[in-house]
Amino acid sequence: MSELAGTLARQPTRSGWSRRLWKMAGSVSIRTKIMGIVLALTVILGLGVTWEVRTVMAQVFINELESRGQSVVSDLAARSVDPILLNDTYSLYQLLTETVANHPDALYAFVVDSNGHVLAHTFGEEGFPVSLLDKNPLQPDNQIHQFHYNSNRGRIHDFMAPIFDGRAGYVRLGLTETRLRGIIDAVTGQMLLTTLVVAVIGILAAMLLTWLLTRPILSLVETTRQVGQGNLAARASHWADDEIGALADAFNQMVADLQVSRQAIAEKEAARGRLLEQLINAQEEERKRIARELHDGVGQSLTSLTVGLKVAGQIQEPALLQQKYAEMHQVAVETLDQVRLLSRELRPSVLDDLGLAAALERYVVEFTQLYPELHVDLHCDLGERLSPTTETTLYRIIQEAMTNAARHGDASTVSVLVSRRDGKVQAIIEDDGHGFDPVAAQRAGESVGIHAMMERAELVGGSLAIESGEEGTTVYAEVPT
Amino acid sequence: MKSVRWRLDTRRSWPLLGWLLLASLLLSGCFPLVRAAPLPYIDLDQREPLPAIAPAQVRPLRIAVAAIISPQGTAESYSDLAAYLSEKVGRPIELIQRRTYAEVNELVAQNQVDVAFVCTSAYVDGHDRFGMELLVAPEIDGQRVYYSELIVPRASPAQSMADLQGKVFAFTDPISFSGRVYPTYLVQQLGQTPEHFFRRSFYTYSHDRAIEAVAAGVADGAAVDSLVLDYALKRNPSLSRRIRVIHRSPPFGIPPVVIPPELPPRQAADLRDIFLAMDHDPEGRAVLSELGIDRFVVVQDEDYTDVRQLTQMVGGVQ
Repeated sequence: MSELAGTLARQPTRSGWSRRLWKMAGSVSIRTKIMGIVLALTVILGLGVTWEVRTVMAQVFINELESRGQSVVSDLAARSVDPILLNDTYSLYQLLTETVANHPDALYAFVVDSNGHVLAHTFGEEGFPVSLLDKNPLQPDNQIHQFHYNSNRGRIHDFMAPIFDGRAGYVRLGLTETRLRGIIDAVTGQMLLTTLVVAVIGILAAMLLTWLLTRPILSLVETTRQVGQGNLAARASHWADDEIGALADAFNQMVADLQVSRQAIAEKEAARGRLLEQLINAQEEERKRIARELHDGVGQSLTSLTVGLKVAGQIQEPALLQQKYAEMHQVAVETLDQVRLLSRELRPSVLDDLGLAAALERYVVEFTQLYPELHVDLHCDLGERLSPTTETTLYRIIQEAMTNAARHGDASTVSVLVSRRDGKVQAIIEDDGHGFDPVAAQRAGESVGIHAMMERAELVGGSLAIESGEEGTTVYAEVPT
Repeated sequence: MKSVRWRLDTRRSWPLLGWLLLASLLLSGCFPLVRAAPLPYIDLDQREPLPAIAPAQVRPLRIAVAAIISPQGTAESYSDLAAYLSEKVGRPIELIQRRTYAEVNELVAQNQVDVAFVCTSAYVDGHDRFGMELLVAPEIDGQRVYYSELIVPRASPAQSMADLQGKVFAFTDPISFSGRVYPTYLVQQLGQTPEHFFRRSFYTYSHDRAIEAVAAGVADGAAVDSLVLDYALKRNPSLSRRIRVIHRSPPFGIPPVVIPPELPPRQAADLRDIFLAMDHDPEGRAVLSELGIDRFVVVQDEDYTDVRQLTQMVGGVQ
């Protein structure tokens, strides 16, 4: 196959003239090509057929002329016997003149006796072309002899037949090709005229054909230019159900796909912008919350510890002091717990230390403390540790999905299933809440969380799908290990 | 594998195409290979008077043969006799034929021929008008007479001349005895004239053509020389399936060989001797047997009295 391709590629460069021809054919427009093909075919066919017909006609006519000459001359020979034997020269002359007059191609006829003397001829009274007598000499074999020569009356076929086995003499008949040549020329002229008319009709038809062919192509070119300039609403016209029509349809489909793709990109860009904005907001909220937690929780506790220490310094009675220390110890322990919770919320160290499974178990415990009315089923079957990025991604996706289920889904049960499959890790988070339209939510820009989940999954080369209905919502996440 | 074969094919297709083109050109006769030699040229308008024919050095012996049979038949039958006579007299022979008996008689009367083979009534007419002389006469099958025979097509129901009333009749020559005088006599015996008796009649100017006319059904009847009819039947036996003889005349003197009255007696005697001696030498016998003649014999004018009487009865010859 590659050899064939190589041959095809080599062929135009094989010789100079073919390359020039190829270049010439390529440089002219389709209109010129089609008209050239039509014109060339018409002219070649017309000339070829004319030439062939002319040749065949000439052959047939000459054959017919020769057979006619033979039959006429043998008839003349048979009918000359009696007038010659009876010495009836006038009948002989009459026979010759009538024969010549009745045969359109007959130019002359004459009779010579067995000694070669002319007995009667049709040349008239002004004489006889004596050079004729030397040609086609008398031959004693009782055959009809034929001989051709050119004359001032065109090509002549001369026939000689013996009369009464040559005993009474010989008759000679001259047939001219002039009339038949005239017919052949007339037919040739007619055929050439027909060729010309057909060529003109062919050119007109080619022009129409070219217009029909190039109109959709030019329209397609114009549409392409518009699309190139950014007008994605431009569409090529479908002129006909042919190959070019199919091309226009395919082109339109491509532009339509391009438009959809552009829109999707624009939507994604918008969602990313919103995510960024909300991330910044969330960061600020988080800072505010931490500040509030520190101020309201840890700060209050430390203030109360400070106040308690001051009070304890003024207490003299050991029993009261003992009680105060116990109170302050309690406050310190609670403060420490608050700090730990805060710290864990910011970054669950257990994820780094013990892995995804442990982190999720811990999270579920905390989650159920936060939402005591929710029942959570966790099945985590991972085996060895995943890469830190993957673990973080899955953790955050599951965290987001569970939070969504608790906050928006009004669910009573959340089931989380994490497993390895075919070199990938799959997480399925399913709840029995009232569900929502994820596409509409995403398009409306309402759900930063959903978008964030998708972004996270795509960032590590995974994918995420959400199915939601009245009986609940399922999030499928799949990431490479 | 495939591509290699394809490439070979395309490389060879150009010479192949060339050969095809050449072959088609040759087949359609565009290359005039058969007319390789240039044709001669003749100017047909360059005309000259024909050269005059030089008169013969030796005066030929001129023999006229009356058109008893067709000119071609005569030329064929008499060519051997002419050659024999030529050898005997030491002069070339000119065989002269004319369409009618009257023309031949005229040649004899004008002394333009030396010897003539004529019909009986032509002799009677010539003898009575300008003294045409008898030279010899043939003897055939031992007889010196001949008959006029009335023939009809084989399918014709006619049994006699009376049955041919209102039919088409073929005469041979206006002064033929067997071909016109005798059938006219028969019609006159029926109290009619040929002009009214026959629906139509025509002249064939020879006996073999009259036989052909009847055989072909062109004529419903004809009277012909029995010698010619026998000769024709011998040469072409299938003729008997096409014609039928319904009447035979009484015997009449056989058509003679005559000479003009002005022919020198010496020459006449020499010629007579040659004819009479023909059956004595083998060459002469061969010629005679070719003509179906036993020998030539001397005849007298009296042998033609019956002919003369009958001819006068029908009103002579026109």
